[in-house]
Amino acid sequence: MAQRYEKNDSSVVVIIGSGAGGATLANELAQKGIDVVCLEAGPRLTLADVVNHGPTMDQRMGWHDKREGPLVWICKTVGGTTMRWSGITPLFQEHEFKALSTYGQLDSGTTLIDWPLTLKELRPYYDKAEDKMGVAGTHDIPSFPETNNYKVMAAGGKRVGYKEITSSRVAINPVARNGRPGCQQLAFCNSGCAIGAKWSTLYTEVPAAELTGHFELRSEAMAMRINHDAKGRATGVVYKDKDGNQQEQKARAVCVAGNVVETTRILLNSESSLFADGLANSMGNVGKHYMRHTFGYALGLMPQPVNFHRNTRQSGIILDEQYHKPERGFAGGYIIETLGLDPWNVSNWIGGWGPENTAFTENYTNLAGIFITGEDPPEATNRISLHDTERDENDLPVPVIEYRDHANTLAMRDHSMKMSRAIYESLGATDFAGGDLPAGAHNMGVARMSEDPKDGVTNRWGQTHDIDNLFVSDGSTFSTSAAANPTLTIVALAIRQADHIAERMTQKTL
Amino acid sequence: MNDKQTTRRKFLVAALTFSGMATSSLGISFLRSSAAWAADTDSSDNLAAMGRLAQLLFPHDGLASDVYAEVVGQVLAMTAADPASHGLLNVAEDALNTALGGSWATAGEAEQLAAVTALQNEAFIVGIREMVRWRLYDNAGLWQHINYPGSSKEYGGYINRGFDDIDWLPEEG
Repeated sequence: MAQRYEKNDSSVVVIIGSGAGGATLANELAQKGIDVVCLEAGPRLTLADVVNHGPTMDQRMGWHDKREGPLVWICKTVGGTTMRWSGITPLFQEHEFKALSTYGQLDSGTTLIDWPLTLKELRPYYDKAEDKMGVAGTHDIPSFPETNNYKVMAAGGKRVGYKEITSSRVAINPVARNGRPGCQQLAFCNSGCAIGAKWSTLYTEVPAAELTGHFELRSEAMAMRINHDAKGRATGVVYKDKDGNQQEQKARAVCVAGNVVETTRILLNSESSLFADGLANSMGNVGKHYMRHTFGYALGLMPQPVNFHRNTRQSGIILDEQYHKPERGFAGGYIIETLGLDPWNVSNWIGGWGPENTAFTENYTNLAGIFITGEDPPEATNRISLHDTERDENDLPVPVIEYRDHANTLAMRDHSMKMSRAIYESLGATDFAGGDLPAGAHNMGVARMSEDPKDGVTNRWGQTHDIDNLFVSDGSTFSTSAAANPTLTIVALAIRQADHIAERMTQKTL
Repeated sequence: MNDKQTTRRKFLVAALTFSGMATSSLGISFLRSSAAWAADTDSSDNLAAMGRLAQLLFPHDGLASDVYAEVVGQVLAMTAADPASHGLLNVAEDALNTALGGSWATAGEAEQLAAVTALQNEAFIVGIREMVRWRLYDNAGLWQHINYPGSSKEYGGYINRGFDDIDWLPEEG
């Protein structure tokens, strides 16, 4: 049963956030018998709360606290952004762990580094993550069924010469597994999977951890700052509970997994006489090197019906462009993935007005869709910081987000649009729309892993360089972005981090 | 990944930006100076004119005018409820009338379109446009018109209802 811990119990590991990183780490630790308190800012929904309507679910689970700068599209709910994610789980390629060595610095503004770990080291954890999440096409799990939208992308992809095309590599059950049902093609994946076929920590890691008796989830608990002792070790986390009262949970170790904005905010907001610039920020890297991938969308107006509204949003990928092929005019690669959109998003992403816009919504059933995710080079000027004077309803400093596309990103997006258009035109598309998606949904960097402490915030285990018992456990630790959707890698890193923390506890060095 | 939520937020950010602009550069008194299609005066003529604007912005041949009217009613409610965008429709009508040199509401389609095109980048037109888009593409009547059925959970999704029924793609070979 779910455990309850005293707030002055300093033997527990406190984890901030219950998304892909936080809840996975929590469950892995709890399975090993390590006591964990998880603080989640959002409420705990049930599947009965999930309806097939985007705006309604955005109100129920979106993160709407005040921020400045471009949109960061994340969730405030138990399960975090695993409630909203599409479930696509590509792997990093070997060269993507060696971005600096492979590409070289792109110009004086980029801050590429190599990861302090390799694909070979992460591979066993990728395997564990795939098994845990139920990735279709791995671990004897069947391939994901080929949807209409996928069939269009695959047929066009073959015509333009692509070879690595698959409907698998999604963490959505093609058939029932581990107590969760097979996908029914509800097609509202981003509103939360109403039947639990898509992996989300709300109904996997969290209840599994509770069953161990070594885990307590505190929902609607907004972490505000991390306290430390005179030696600079983390001692506890101050949070606002659901009644609005400030509490402090004492801790043996603290792991931050609040997604990039909140991870940055809590580290910077924990400044003290000992750490004047915030925790783990002795080199000034907290909040910097923020990456969010080269994003793009493409819509083909096909000659006959596709009905992509009947399909799992993202249910297939083309990997041929993930490689580093500098002859294309940019460093790194991108992945082509299926994408379904509801009518409002079709209209809004195309933008503008009049018949040029409504030509697509008017022919909604004939649309096919592609989503692009590609490597995004880090720059110190793409960053998250805290506003000097403005504070939000929790009396926390308002986060300020600064992000611009690098020239490499613009060149990559252009290429991806050219290829997407070719895919659809090879099948007789009569019209095409495509472009940028100006939102941070894949959020990385801000507390990146680095071999040399001066280049980042955390080491190869996600432990901060500055503070022995302070860890970062979300996508914030990515040294570089690679092209792949980040969740699988976040989960693999969290499983690996749990092994490391447990080992150090056994050795009594934590 | 993305769906409604993303751009909903984007829109809200845009709307906030717009409010700041409306209150600072246009001035509250000007916002309240005329009342033609105003949120407060929803006579059937006013609604018809707004409906016409909605139709020009997002034309769907054969879509019942009732749908545009319903959307306009929702936009009026949104502006009435939000002090920052209150009076938005007055500003738009004044500007359209001025651009056209007469009554926009009773002008011919070509003239109406020319006036909207001339003002398309003005914040008040962008603000109305995004509110219309937000309500129109979440409207059951529009959904029916474009054969978008909305929620599928209650029907068991599409696993047995055509998720893979495409039959016109070329044979491989």
